[in-house]
Amino acid sequence: MRTHALLAALLLILAASTAQAILLRTFGDQLAVPRGLVMLALLPLLFYLVFISPGRRYRAWGYNMADSELQLRRGVWTQVHTTVPLDRVQHIDISQGPLERMFEVCRLVLHTAGTMHSLVVLPGLDRNTAERMRDEIRARIGREPE
Amino acid sequence: VNGDTAADRRIHPATIALRFVKEVPSTVLALPAGLAFISDLGIGRALLVAAVMAIVMLTLNWLAWSRFRYGVGEREIVIESGVLSRTRRSIPFDRIQDVDIEQPLLARLVGLAKVRIETGGAGRDEGLLDSVTLAEANRLRAVVRASHGAAPSALAPAPAAARPLFEMDLQRVLLFGLFNFSLAFIAGIFAALQTFDDWLPFDLYDWLAAFDRSYADRFTPAAVLALLLLAALLGLAAGMLRTLSRDYGFRLTAEGGRFRRERGLFTRSEVVISKKRLQLALVETGLVRRRLGWFGLSFQTLGSGADAGGLQSAAPFGRKAEVAPILEEANGLRMAEAGEMIPVSSRHVLRILAALPVLLLTLVVAAALWKPWVLLILLALPLFVAFAARARRFHRYRLEDRILFVARGLWRQRLWIVPIANVQAVSLSRSPLQRCLGLATLAFDTAGASLLNTVRIVDLRIGPARELADEVAAYSSGRKSGTDR
Repeated sequence: MRTHALLAALLLILAASTAQAILLRTFGDQLAVPRGLVMLALLPLLFYLVFISPGRRYRAWGYNMADSELQLRRGVWTQVHTTVPLDRVQHIDISQGPLERMFEVCRLVLHTAGTMHSLVVLPGLDRNTAERMRDEIRARIGREPE
Repeated sequence: VNGDTAADRRIHPATIALRFVKEVPSTVLALPAGLAFISDLGIGRALLVAAVMAIVMLTLNWLAWSRFRYGVGEREIVIESGVLSRTRRSIPFDRIQDVDIEQPLLARLVGLAKVRIETGGAGRDEGLLDSVTLAEANRLRAVVRASHGAAPSALAPAPAAARPLFEMDLQRVLLFGLFNFSLAFIAGIFAALQTFDDWLPFDLYDWLAAFDRSYADRFTPAAVLALLLLAALLGLAAGMLRTLSRDYGFRLTAEGGRFRRERGLFTRSEVVISKKRLQLALVETGLVRRRLGWFGLSFQTLGSGADAGGLQSAAPFGRKAEVAPILEEANGLRMAEAGEMIPVSSRHVLRILAALPVLLLTLVVAAALWKPWVLLILLALPLFVAFAARARRFHRYRLEDRILFVARGLWRQRLWIVPIANVQAVSLSRSPLQRCLGLATLAFDTAGASLLNTVRIVDLRIGPARELADEVAAYSSGRKSGTDR
């Protein structure tokens, strides 16, 4: 697995801190009286969300591009390991949201004909890697027509 | 392919009337009724509105009809539609999987049929001719078939002769109905009552409350029993009726590269299941049904025209000896006996039982907050344990000859038969609890599956799970395909 630790982690931290801001706002308005108390109770959770979880989530993500299949692994609590045979890929997207553009990462999206995994998303790749992978997979699809 | 095929035919004019009749309840009746309800419209005015609506609807239907044309060319079918914005759609014969003919009750009375041109695409209404005469429908089908026969394309050649595979007589359908016990309609009645509460001459809740008051002391066990019996009978009747209307005259035939299914009492439908688009087979039975030797078979297909969850029923209620030949016909599939399949890890039982503390806690809290008698449910705990122990025995799998068999379910027993070439992705997941127990869940994604109907093996030991996932992925990705291609 190539290292884009910082970028991906930053991305996650940013996401987490947005979530935190939302949390703060909603709870602050609703509970005027024991404000400090609620925040105190939430603090460990927030701490986990902001400082621990992104790192763990990042470390849990992994992929391996084998000869004929792409393997993905993710999940801190429930760990999921997905294998997508490259023959089964229908088409490939590279997508980049505004935040992702800020950190110069992008995600590779594989479309298969299945239902549950009709979209297989591999986030946090840098542009070059993503493009190279896309080309590899594309070549692979092209090589074996039906 | 030339784009000059003339769209020179129209659908049958009676369609205008048919559509109109279909729309009457929702527009001509409902809207004026609604208006009358909201404002203080008199009955005369409401009728007037209804008449105007009727004329408008008829005119619109006539317009749509007059602007809808289709034509059959040498290599394509062309459909032109649209009143304001015109659409011209050309469907090359090569792309047509088959021509489905459906006859809803009304259309059947006047000898018309809906023709659905099946392509691989997902849109159901891609090529819908609603409605033409039955003779014209058959002619269209013949033309498409003939073109497939004349120019062998990627599709199966024109069928030689239809070979009947499975049929259900009235007796069989009724017997099947017995197993289709349904209480859904009771819920439906209550929902309807609630919706139309304001319109009813009595107030439902007052009525219920009165009932409660006057009969509270008469709730003898016998009365409750009688009520349950009544509900059961109603449920049975509802199941029978539904099955009868859906599966009456069920007939499955095989012709070349496809199955053809006809069924229905009121709406007679004819559906084609192309063997090429077949993804997996599902054999379903129940605790009682298995004892009596009845099985149901359905196929999961790609693309449009599915009943539910991408599944097409192929033989809803048949003996094993009847189901097996259909499977054999479907690209050489077969059933696996429970004996030759490997059960999942014995820790599956533990994992199910791990839900117990949660259940207990919920019950105790519910009892504390609400009524103490809820705790009586605790008496059912041994049942739960027994269920967990049995559930494992019915959850089995086997990979053989490039076919993956997965059996699951105690009450509703299902056996998935998946040619692994059709597996789109394999995923192995482990919840924290499963990690503690050294277990994993394997999910096999196939095309056309619904989320509820994914092929899953729950609680395999991690070792075998990894091996199985690897093996399936290897076959499916062609790493091992050298042996038989």
